[in-house]
Amino acid sequence: MIGKIRFAALAMTAALTLPFLQAATATAGEYPEKPVSMIVAYSPGGGTDTAARVIAKYVQPHLGQRLIIQNKPGAGGQIGFTELARSQPDGYKIGFINIPSIFMVKMLRENVPYEMSDFEAIANIQLDPVMLVVKADSPLKTFQDFLDAAKKAPGEVNVGGDGPQSNNQLQVVVAEDKLGVDVNFVSFDGSGPAITATLGDQVVAAVPSASSATTHILNGRLRALAVFSEKRYKYLPDVPTIKEASGVDVPGIGASMRGIAVPKGVSPEQKKVLEAAFAKVMEDPEFLAHAEKMGLPLDYMNGADFDAYIQSAAEAVEAYIPLLK
Amino acid sequence: MFENILIGLSSLSDPIMLAAIAAGVFGGVLIGILPGLTSTMGVALLIPVTFSMPPQVGLAMLGGIYLASTYSGAISAVLLNIPGTPAAVATLLDGHPMSRRGQSTRALALATFGSSIGGLLSVVALLFIAPPLAEFSLRFGSPEYFLLAVFGITVIASLSAGAMEKGIIAGALGLLLSTIGNHPLTGEMRFTMDLPSLYDGIPLVVSLIGLYSVPEVISMISKRKQSNKPVFNADKTNPMAFMPEMFKQKVNVLRSSLIGIIVGIIPGVGCSVGGFLAYDAAKRSSKKPEEFGNGSPEGVVASETSNNAVTGGTLIPLLTLGVPGNPVTAVLLGGIMIHGLRPGPDLFTLNADITYGFILSLFVANLLFVPVGLFVAKYCVRVIQIPRSILAPSILALAAIGSYSIRGSLDDVVIMLFVGAIGFLLQFFSVPRAPLVLGLVLGTLAEGELARSLALVHGDLGAFAAQLVTRPISAVILLLCCYALYQGIVQHRKNSKMLDE
Repeated sequence: MIGKIRFAALAMTAALTLPFLQAATATAGEYPEKPVSMIVAYSPGGGTDTAARVIAKYVQPHLGQRLIIQNKPGAGGQIGFTELARSQPDGYKIGFINIPSIFMVKMLRENVPYEMSDFEAIANIQLDPVMLVVKADSPLKTFQDFLDAAKKAPGEVNVGGDGPQSNNQLQVVVAEDKLGVDVNFVSFDGSGPAITATLGDQVVAAVPSASSATTHILNGRLRALAVFSEKRYKYLPDVPTIKEASGVDVPGIGASMRGIAVPKGVSPEQKKVLEAAFAKVMEDPEFLAHAEKMGLPLDYMNGADFDAYIQSAAEAVEAYIPLLK
Repeated sequence: MFENILIGLSSLSDPIMLAAIAAGVFGGVLIGILPGLTSTMGVALLIPVTFSMPPQVGLAMLGGIYLASTYSGAISAVLLNIPGTPAAVATLLDGHPMSRRGQSTRALALATFGSSIGGLLSVVALLFIAPPLAEFSLRFGSPEYFLLAVFGITVIASLSAGAMEKGIIAGALGLLLSTIGNHPLTGEMRFTMDLPSLYDGIPLVVSLIGLYSVPEVISMISKRKQSNKPVFNADKTNPMAFMPEMFKQKVNVLRSSLIGIIVGIIPGVGCSVGGFLAYDAAKRSSKKPEEFGNGSPEGVVASETSNNAVTGGTLIPLLTLGVPGNPVTAVLLGGIMIHGLRPGPDLFTLNADITYGFILSLFVANLLFVPVGLFVAKYCVRVIQIPRSILAPSILALAAIGSYSIRGSLDDVVIMLFVGAIGFLLQFFSVPRAPLVLGLVLGTLAEGELARSLALVHGDLGAFAAQLVTRPISAVILLLCCYALYQGIVQHRKNSKMLDE
């Protein structure tokens, strides 16, 4: 009888402790042991979200685990970026971050509860430069025409773009400073409405992201005058860079970049696994084919390069912040 | 053209296509009924599922979700007095009083048939006259949008059910609430109390949930001592019996469809505004305007026909120009691009099989949500027979989950309760709530477009005023505004005179 009870007690203890033992052995296994979640600071269905979901699908075999998208939208990304900064650095929470939004939010607002040092970069995935476009039947045929028009009537030429305080507006402010012109920047609720306003002759020109203007340019409804980037845009190879069009080197710091980052404190081994997985997916022919079909402007940078880029871009942007306020 | 339709028909005859539409419609009906889930979320969440499908199949499913969820918001509006989606706010004004009278089946049947007919007519417009209509949508600039929002606000007169002053109070409150968040042009933060959840303004769906479900729950609890006897469904129970009634309202149906299609074509306005404008037009031209707000079948038909007519309308600029008309179609645009398709002329020539397959699938979806909706509604009608002691806490729980799930934020639950408290006060003083919704929806549009109009003319008020009169479309809307105000004042005087006597 007593033996039976003792046996039952032993069995119960074993049953209770077994899961803990298993958990203990699990942590000793190879990272990642369970699905990794990725915070996206924008709503489901938007451009950032769609790009994140496509990469999540293709990174799975390289990572060895599923990558689950967690949307934390609101306040121009601030809510999601804050969430990422405050996450446990256990390697199971990573984030899709947007440059320059992540540091513009910090610089433009008071009481933003994260620092840029709270994040560590893993890889950059895409680079979407800002493009200057006019309607197809506009009398402004080249960038020089646009520049002449803007110089003739300082502050009068209406240029529409995402806003307010967006990367597109930042690019306009930088270009105004470097080219010595003054245009009237008018904010719209995104690149789409800014393009619509250009098609409807409400504004002389627009500064949408290249990816959202591509369709309209290929359809022949818009004409691109220049792209604010060091190299030409992959899907529109005929559009000159700003340096080719104006002879002036205007830094393309308004380009919207999307990459992967982790909260500070993730172990170097885990970071290495993540870096390797994203490096491999960026060479995966199936992923590249899908991205090409969708018109995603891929631009790979490894963690160290991406970190360095973020640092230098943040320094360059800092000087222009007062002009955006 | 007819060749293309034949190509579309052949891709439609694929059984997988029909299964995708059915799945979309069924899912859409459920999404629309639940107040926390909107058409936009439904489409957004299912886009990844469509990655691996052939494009026309994926699009057919997304289309089914969009159409069915826009319709089925009416079911919860009629039965529970809580709009399932923002589009159903105008439906609730008369749908719920009808349900209270024991005419749930009639109200639901009319809403279903109206939605279906409105949706079908809008797809006809999409199929045959999309390109010229799309060009029309580009003529809407900031001054036009601003005036359109002002015109929308004049609808308050129709929504106030006799108490004009109270309607104006609610409308003004809505406009005031819409100013919370960052300024659309300068990015300045207003009334946000340093809460990042308020930076983008008060979220519309969250406030709708609070505004309608909290007062409903409170009134259920306060009546708990009264008999729990459910409202008897006094009508015929076969919804098909109400089909002939639709044909008697053919003028109303046609007018509402037309309003819906036009509102849909104009980017950035949306389904709820379509419902409000059609409701207003129906009331102004009705022989029995006094019934509106007290369970007028005409009101239900107008609002539902129009909000579903918006769906086809919004697809016109989307497919022909790549310009999305509302949040749902913006998400749908992502779903189209992910398959490597480019909106524009190519879509109608190079990818005709996909595009026409998609458009024809919308016909099927518009027809299919009738049986699916009526079937689901048949079971939902029993909801009103559930004892209040169970129904009230369930609604509150659903409201909390719904508002949390939109952004995964507890702040939104607090916002929901706060707006719910406002809703309760309004109901207590019998102030209509629909004008507040209208103010909230249109306030952001009016403010942003006014600021943008002024920015475009470099702040010159004179130039702005001149634009309002000289731009043809804005002049027409301006006249409509004046007429609406004049008629509202005349009506109001007549009513007060009648009261005096």
